[in-house]
Amino acid sequence: MSVVRAESVSKRFGELTVLSDVSFDVPKGRVTVIIGRSGSGKSTMLRCINGLEEINGGNLEVLGHSLPLPPKALRALRVEVGMVFQSYNLFPHMTTEENVMIAPRIVKGAGRAEARQVAHRVLDQVGLGDKRDAMPEQLSGGQQQRVAIARSLAMQPQLMLFDEVTSALDPELTGEVLRVIGALAREGMTMVLVTHEMGFAKNVATEVLFMHNGRIWESGPPDTLFSSPRTPELQQFLNAGELRE
Amino acid sequence: MFGQFGWHALTLLLIAARWTVLLSALAFALGGLAGFAVALLRTAPSPVSRTLTAAYIEIVQGTPVLILLFVAYFGVALIGIDVPPLLAASIALTIFSSAYLGEIWRGAIDSIAQSQWEASESLGMTRWQQLRHIILPQAFRISLPPTVGFLVQLIKNTSVTSLISLVELTREGQLIANATFRPLPAFVAVALIYFVLCFPLSRFSQSLESRLHVGRQS
Repeated sequence: MSVVRAESVSKRFGELTVLSDVSFDVPKGRVTVIIGRSGSGKSTMLRCINGLEEINGGNLEVLGHSLPLPPKALRALRVEVGMVFQSYNLFPHMTTEENVMIAPRIVKGAGRAEARQVAHRVLDQVGLGDKRDAMPEQLSGGQQQRVAIARSLAMQPQLMLFDEVTSALDPELTGEVLRVIGALAREGMTMVLVTHEMGFAKNVATEVLFMHNGRIWESGPPDTLFSSPRTPELQQFLNAGELRE
Repeated sequence: MFGQFGWHALTLLLIAARWTVLLSALAFALGGLAGFAVALLRTAPSPVSRTLTAAYIEIVQGTPVLILLFVAYFGVALIGIDVPPLLAASIALTIFSSAYLGEIWRGAIDSIAQSQWEASESLGMTRWQQLRHIILPQAFRISLPPTVGFLVQLIKNTSVTSLISLVELTREGQLIANATFRPLPAFVAVALIYFVLCFPLSRFSQSLESRLHVGRQS
């Protein structure tokens, strides 16, 4: 069963075409990694999947629901789709625990005790069981990002979307966040990740999509895609990455 | 009755100051309620609601309080309803407050990063849940200092109601000045009472500002 199925998806911002003819499939339990230059449309594609952006053409099916959806149905879908952002976006006026508890409480209608139990479980899962009472500003970037992951996990989503979640972190903190995501992948969470971490993409991806100019330029399993890129654009992109590292 | 400006006059001023306080409190409470609605409508997704409230704010902010007061007092009387000065003053100051507080709070809501909306939206929250739990609690902190600052302006602005013979602090000062033929002590006393009302609030606003500033990082 496909969790996400995109068929010739297109998206424009005014005159600017950011996605054109994008088709791919995310099977259940698989990890799809989207790579590409800034402005290649990868983040936009991810934001379309949970309805933060509306597509202009083609078909986009998420968990069996065809987007766009009316507001109520879209909210119901978002309960099933977790999203983690580059800038963490924790709620700064709430403790770690409250950040994780709020959505199960008010969106799912969970009781306080139940929500707290879930919060403790997911905070333990991301290795922050001892930071329940901390305010976001007291945490490092890596810790904040792990809280953000826990906040999404607390909703028990079927699909997780990660939008360049380590781009704002230094290498040391990047590792702790990637370990959490890697563990999720091994547990069988269906995920779509946009990332610049090629090493991580190689390890965790079941399929890699290379986006260029709003299109999927090249795709395939990480082994073949990284070792024998077919298009000059991907070759150039991968070489530039190696030079940087 | 008054030979000179003395304790008796001061007592009269303090009694009149109660009206200043009452009027300020009334206008702040009612204007706050209306202003809250204005702020929510001003930031609502509907362009119609945004435009209408923007126009309301512009019109009220572009009109002197005195004119709002005269319109409320003489305008309503024109339709044949006899408006007591206190009612007219309350209406005018409520309208005045609703526009200013609405704009202050609109600014506070808009200052919350778009990413907070997106994060809470992605968790499946309704717009009202986003406002109630995520946006307004943060906006409230930001808006506290300017809100208290506005209250100080409001207290001083109640003095215009003296012009429709509401005997609040300023009007009582005029009456005493006329009766004693010594305007200076009367108005100095009036000024001092305004200062005593406003100064603690100003200090409170400043301390809030520095405290909130310390609390906010990066």
